[in-house]
Amino acid sequence: MTSLTSDIKQSRRSFLKASAMGSGGLMMSIALPGCATLKNGGVSQEGETEQWNSNAWLRIDSDNTIHFVLDRVEMGQGTYTGMTSLLAEELEVDPEKVKVSFAGVDSVYRNTIYGIQITGGSTSVASSWTIVREAGAATRIMLVKAAANTWGIKESECIAENGVVINKSNGHKLFDKQITFGLLASLAATYSVPSDIPLKDKADFKIIGKYNKRLDALKKATGTADYGIDTELPGMKYAVFTRAGRWDSQIKSFDASKVKNMPGIEQVFAVNNASAIGIAIVAKTYWQARKAQRQLSVEWHESELNNVDDASIFAQYKKDLAQDSGKNVRSEGDIDNALENAAETISAEYEMPFLAHSTLEPQNCVAWAKEDSLEIWVPTQSPDMAQVAAAKATDYALSDVKINTTFIGGGFGRRINQDFVAEAAAISEISQQPIKLIWSREEDIQRDWYRPSSYHKLSATIDKNGDISGWNHQMAGSGVFDYFVADAAPAQYPFMPKFMYGLLESAGKMGEGIIAPADGSIYEGAEAIPYDFANINVDYKKSDSGILVGNWRSVGYSHNGFITESFVDQLSAQQKKDPYTFRYDLLKNHPRAQAVLKLAADKANWGTPLAGCTQGIAIHKSFGTWVAEVADVEVVNNSLKVKRVVCAVDCGQVVNPDMVVAQMEGGINFALTAALYGEINIKNGITQQTNFHDSQLLRINEAPQIDVHIIESDESPTGVGEPGVPPLAAAVANAITAKTGQRFYKLPLKLDA
Amino acid sequence: MIKLTVNGIEHSLDVEADTPLLWVVRDFLNLKGSKFGCGAGLCGACTMHLNGSPIRTCITPVSAVNGQAITTIEGVGNPDKLSTVQQAWVKHNVPQCGYCQSGQIMSATALLASNPQPSDQDIDNAMSGNICRCGTYPRIKAAIHTAANNLSGTANLKNDLFTNIMEAK
Repeated sequence: MTSLTSDIKQSRRSFLKASAMGSGGLMMSIALPGCATLKNGGVSQEGETEQWNSNAWLRIDSDNTIHFVLDRVEMGQGTYTGMTSLLAEELEVDPEKVKVSFAGVDSVYRNTIYGIQITGGSTSVASSWTIVREAGAATRIMLVKAAANTWGIKESECIAENGVVINKSNGHKLFDKQITFGLLASLAATYSVPSDIPLKDKADFKIIGKYNKRLDALKKATGTADYGIDTELPGMKYAVFTRAGRWDSQIKSFDASKVKNMPGIEQVFAVNNASAIGIAIVAKTYWQARKAQRQLSVEWHESELNNVDDASIFAQYKKDLAQDSGKNVRSEGDIDNALENAAETISAEYEMPFLAHSTLEPQNCVAWAKEDSLEIWVPTQSPDMAQVAAAKATDYALSDVKINTTFIGGGFGRRINQDFVAEAAAISEISQQPIKLIWSREEDIQRDWYRPSSYHKLSATIDKNGDISGWNHQMAGSGVFDYFVADAAPAQYPFMPKFMYGLLESAGKMGEGIIAPADGSIYEGAEAIPYDFANINVDYKKSDSGILVGNWRSVGYSHNGFITESFVDQLSAQQKKDPYTFRYDLLKNHPRAQAVLKLAADKANWGTPLAGCTQGIAIHKSFGTWVAEVADVEVVNNSLKVKRVVCAVDCGQVVNPDMVVAQMEGGINFALTAALYGEINIKNGITQQTNFHDSQLLRINEAPQIDVHIIESDESPTGVGEPGVPPLAAAVANAITAKTGQRFYKLPLKLDA
Repeated sequence: MIKLTVNGIEHSLDVEADTPLLWVVRDFLNLKGSKFGCGAGLCGACTMHLNGSPIRTCITPVSAVNGQAITTIEGVGNPDKLSTVQQAWVKHNVPQCGYCQSGQIMSATALLASNPQPSDQDIDNAMSGNICRCGTYPRIKAAIHTAANNLSGTANLKNDLFTNIMEAK
């Protein structure tokens, strides 16, 4: 998730509020100042007073149970553990003793970087780094004060440790030497929150940077973590939904005569609203609904996508870019002058495919339309956008839609778009009963919001001395912002009536790059090319393919990491320099990048590949984090095997070192699927791939050895969930080139015969 | 009527014969640990044991296993009574999103039941039918080796691999 990342003036100021509970505990609430990215129809909100919200983040019961309401979803990236660790560090409790639950929808949970409640862009720890620790520290200070007052001693004579406050005053005989947080909670709740909340120095950390457990591992190793698809309600029925092959097709007619008498079938009806078009079958069991779907026949109207396929899409990108280079997103020196005076120009064109997310848990949603409210249980990356999607698809007011989130069986950006929520909400409302909508794998692959395909033209100029003088990168493709703004804009303004949603969407689209942040989903990573070239130019021409697109793990960086690091490798060959040394020298203005590159090269024994292998190297910065990867690849008889990937990462201060290692391992294997197999092909507007036989995912026998090395750092934490992805394909491609000489301008990698 | 013995408990079920075993276990017996991933036997998220062998239950009609013994992730262990494989999974922090892990553990358990000291190659062969989209493969491999180490010299392999199966009366 990146299109909302830049240029946001965020306020880091947070407000804590303590209150007593009737049952004798303490509730620490937190209010974040309003921070809008899509301003209210263009009206600035600057200077408005912060709105107080009193939703609990942290609750201590008198029996010493500590509850933490997690404002980010857990989809594998480890926020469940990471955020709890931040809290536990300052509160002085064992992270394993904290009971974690998932937050519902409230503006209090908004991601301070995006201004909406979203889990994406590898931001969870970065955006909560200070706030969550302050909540823990303030609570601890109040508990210590309560203990000191109880004992009649100074606060400095008390110390909080492992869920209790300990009396350290010498010779104190009157009271027990320690009191649990739970027993102190109701007294602590009568104090006001301290205005000065000092946070620990790094040297004093007990958990941050050291804790290596994964708090949800036990549930997930025993099948007891509840995902969206596991939701059960009394009287719940099952729904399947038949959509057109082309997402924008309207229903012409349908024939359900063969369906209606099949066992278990309760209802068959059409749904037709802005976000859900298709035929719903509601049955007693999932299998009855799915089986009946084969007997349903639907005729669809033709759509504008009828004549769209891969070739026409790339022809459009090239034509649009040739006519107009679009928006300049980086300009240094004078690229025209460099081109004019070049002794030689090296050029290359790259074509990047659409990519599916293939979360292993298919899209699903449980909806229960009741008389006064609509309740939703859903694995989603953006609960407040889910709320908007449900309200838009039904007659319920936004405030009558309640969202419950669950564990998520893989997100990778797919669950930022809320089409499955709109469908389930509409189906339940029409069906007048609770329903569980489950997509098939085929539906999940064919109706995805793909990583956009894109076209790139790169040129490097060589001056009369034989040195590289210029870098020119021009590209075209759809922007993902256009494909989620319809739900994101209203989510920022929950007080706006529904009839205003269309206006908010338009305002958001028109305001992209002005009142809303620029959509970097095609060019991010390309515009930040870190190498020290005298003349740099990067242009982006928006060219909408009409195919649904969305955020895909590392978004624009996912293709620009490959493109820029492939082309840089080509330049190092032209300069007859070692690919590592060439990069290292050109990164002289980025010492953190140099350190990461060197660490990866050293640990991989750069220059001494594994037996039978050649090596390739690549480095890319995304979400604030530098990652360098060295791939050792074996090419035998026109087939390739990635034997080992050595990865070095600088993500600032590490919260949970093993989680960082796990995310790098996962990012590398995720990227290897894309490098080896990833492509979605479009023919007549319809996705050609259907299931894992023709849209393959990496398997264990293809997975390389992965060694991860983390740079020690005191800088603020940066992203971890996505940055392992971007360098991988280039590192692998460059290793193959080192062996065969073949250069790659498309993905997936296909070896010349 | 279909008869099934699941984790040692007998069930009689009134269910259409072609219903895949996965949905019978999930929605009739309410054992939600086994997951739906592809519906085509390609990803392994739905893996259970049929008489000790791993099968893809999303494509197994319940009528084909009528009267037979099924083991699910719930029979392997629970949070209070982890099997040796589950202990290794927790130790290595294997799960990320976790959705595939029930199936992974079922395949790993079947492997270790028949081959208590597998090589890397044995692991690749036995586990390549189980997809992990989060890419936890290095840890799956390490956890299987740890489990194998902890199983070496065990007096009762079956008890270590399955801690939660009701003994037949």
